[in-house]
Amino acid sequence: MLVLLLAAWEGYWRAYGVTPGYYNSNGEWAQQRRRIDQGEGGKTVLIGSSRVLFDVQLPVWEKLAGERPIQLAMEGTSSVPVLEDLAADPKFTGHLVVGVASDLFFSGFAYRGDVVPYYHRETPSQRVGSWLSQHLLEPFVAFDDSDFALATVLKRQAWPQRPGVPERMDVRKLSVQEADRSTHMWSKLETDPEYRALARSIWAQHFDGPPPPNMDTPEKLQKVIDTQIQRAVVAVAKLRARGVQVLFVRPPTAGRYLEFDDKVFPRAKTWDVLLARTGAPGIHFEDYPELQGLELPEWSHLKTTDAQRFTAALYRIIARDYWRQDRVRLADSPR
Amino acid sequence: MVFNSLTFIAFFACVLALHSLPLPWTTRKINLLIASYVFYMAWNPPFVILLWISTVVDWYAAQGLVKAQRQRARHAWMLLSVVANLGMLGYFKYGQFLLDNFSALMASLGVVYQPPHADIVLPVGISFYTFATLSYTLDVYLRRAKPARNFLDYALFVTFFPHLVAGPIMRPTELVPQFAQPRRASADQLRFGLALMTLGLFNKVVLADSFLANVAEKIYDVDKIPGALDAWTATLAFSGQIFCDFAGYSTTAIGAAMCLGFAMPDNFRFPYAAVGFSDFWRRWHITLSSWLRDYLYIPLGGNRHGERRTYAALMATMLLGGLWHGANWTFVVWGGLHGLYLAAERVLRTRFRGYRPGPAAFVALGLLTYLLVNLTWVFFRAKTFGKAWSVLGGMLGQHAAAKPILAMFSLISVAAIVAGIVATHWLMRERTLESVVTRTPAVALSVVWALMAFAIVIAQGEGSAFIYFQF
Repeated sequence: MLVLLLAAWEGYWRAYGVTPGYYNSNGEWAQQRRRIDQGEGGKTVLIGSSRVLFDVQLPVWEKLAGERPIQLAMEGTSSVPVLEDLAADPKFTGHLVVGVASDLFFSGFAYRGDVVPYYHRETPSQRVGSWLSQHLLEPFVAFDDSDFALATVLKRQAWPQRPGVPERMDVRKLSVQEADRSTHMWSKLETDPEYRALARSIWAQHFDGPPPPNMDTPEKLQKVIDTQIQRAVVAVAKLRARGVQVLFVRPPTAGRYLEFDDKVFPRAKTWDVLLARTGAPGIHFEDYPELQGLELPEWSHLKTTDAQRFTAALYRIIARDYWRQDRVRLADSPR
Repeated sequence: MVFNSLTFIAFFACVLALHSLPLPWTTRKINLLIASYVFYMAWNPPFVILLWISTVVDWYAAQGLVKAQRQRARHAWMLLSVVANLGMLGYFKYGQFLLDNFSALMASLGVVYQPPHADIVLPVGISFYTFATLSYTLDVYLRRAKPARNFLDYALFVTFFPHLVAGPIMRPTELVPQFAQPRRASADQLRFGLALMTLGLFNKVVLADSFLANVAEKIYDVDKIPGALDAWTATLAFSGQIFCDFAGYSTTAIGAAMCLGFAMPDNFRFPYAAVGFSDFWRRWHITLSSWLRDYLYIPLGGNRHGERRTYAALMATMLLGGLWHGANWTFVVWGGLHGLYLAAERVLRTRFRGYRPGPAAFVALGLLTYLLVNLTWVFFRAKTFGKAWSVLGGMLGQHAAAKPILAMFSLISVAAIVAGIVATHWLMRERTLESVVTRTPAVALSVVWALMAFAIVIAQGEGSAFIYFQF
């Protein structure tokens, strides 16, 4: 009976369009983070939020650079805590791409903020559990995704609304992940207009709702932005002092997401100040024609084929304008 | 490792397989001992040294107690055990708490003293295994039990993984004799053990973690002021969560031991159907309350030295029992409230000696007990007194203007689950799980078992730690 029930549950989600994929767990993030401790500290590391996670395609980058970067971006989470963690780790000496999602980076919001402490405190049991899950469960089971957990599924049914409590929908499944956290947008967002509209309406809650109490006046908002930039300044200074090349990247947004970012976190008060104060270079999608004209089905992330285009264009800009000297030096060095 | 993890499933499968091999009994016990150390080291390997210290000190202390001729020497061996065990517990669990309180005391006297932050990591399960090993030397000292005949049996009693980190707190007299003869679970024991493990994990993964924990967090871990409905819902959710979490652990532990052929005592007997607080403590965390009774309340005088001394012993026991749960004054208040309840009940029982409640009054008294227990959970769950007063204020209707916080789904799910738990406890009040299982048709049992296992899998628990691990 248990086997039948599980088969039916798996069949239901597969019919919904889900395919087995790896879980974006703290354990899998920690596994990638440990690569820096295990001799890969000279590699390129990607940090940021879901945009760097979904939009930067590791196979494309690998094809162009000859080396697969380490993917440490985490959805819904400012890259500042990871930036600080890498700054404090002398084993990391490589190149660093820091994704900037304005509403996360400059607010300090960290939905998965526990990931860095988890990495530092991960127990042997958790490491084994993560390995077992990756080898015995995740590649074979479609329903093993937090979006399809029992309580999550029940919670999003049409319950009566309680007066005075705003109805908030949680972010739904947006991506599919592979073994080394190589991630791309879930095809349902491209093929299912209803699901795409749902994803947009979930973002819209964020645009229409009141600001959080610590950012509900212009002065408070500015203070929060200044705090996050100052944290980045300190971390970048540490990284650059030991020769790490840091590059900020602002991936594209569109539609109402872009309008919201421009309104609440205008570039002149955030991105431009970040680059000026850290002294690190940055690539803003608005400054490069080749990073524009891409399709973002739910305003925030690129569809998979455009993410591949974006990655190729981004890598070429980086190689041409920023890490070129280093690349030449590497090419000239004896092998 | 936690029971609700893939690592434990793989570990337990290996242990079961090894235990069922046709090996000599001593070899199988060594396997269990090694497995138990692996189980413990899976959290933080260096802390196994503390476990070894506790084991070795108490083994030699008990040997010394047996050989000692003079009372003074016996006393010294007993003190060695108490100081070593409580010293470790005190340092790791209460070190920072004592420093902070000393600093606050100095400040109140006008002396500025800032102790360095020690950043002490609490070894998982230290409160449980120190109590288990202490009971060994204290029983030998009080001549209630003879020391174990060999070190292997004794070390396995201390370390046996099902009870190691969160109980049930075993006495040597309950477990050591079971190691004397070869044990292997019968088919029925294996089935019942696995069913108990499923039930325990259902309580933990599905009810506590998936539906109740986040409701309590939304009120207790945020800065919002809750109204009456939110404060009550969160507190009721926590009452369900703490039961499902801890009883879930105990049930899984008992089931795991049973699969290996060992018996462990009940730790919970449907406590939310308790009528009165002495009844509650005969049903809630039974092995701790009996430990506190035998090694604290009775040595403090119990009820043998008049009323005043009895109440003093009662309060001291419950206050220390509260502090055992955590290094925070909120736990002391939790224990103090239970002490007051027990004292008040004792006064009422003395005054109304012949009173026998009718059925309606009986249920009303039971619900009153549950209500008062919920008030104590506020102090158990709140991290600060400020938060505790805020939630209590909400529960007492003092925040009429508070904005609603919890969504309808939270209200409905908590109401359904908590009502289900309380109703089940009342239905099972005079019964045991074993008696109900025996009378239920196999088909019905199989269906319930499969549904629970299905719910555990699709709940996708994240292997969160059991609440009592922090104690």
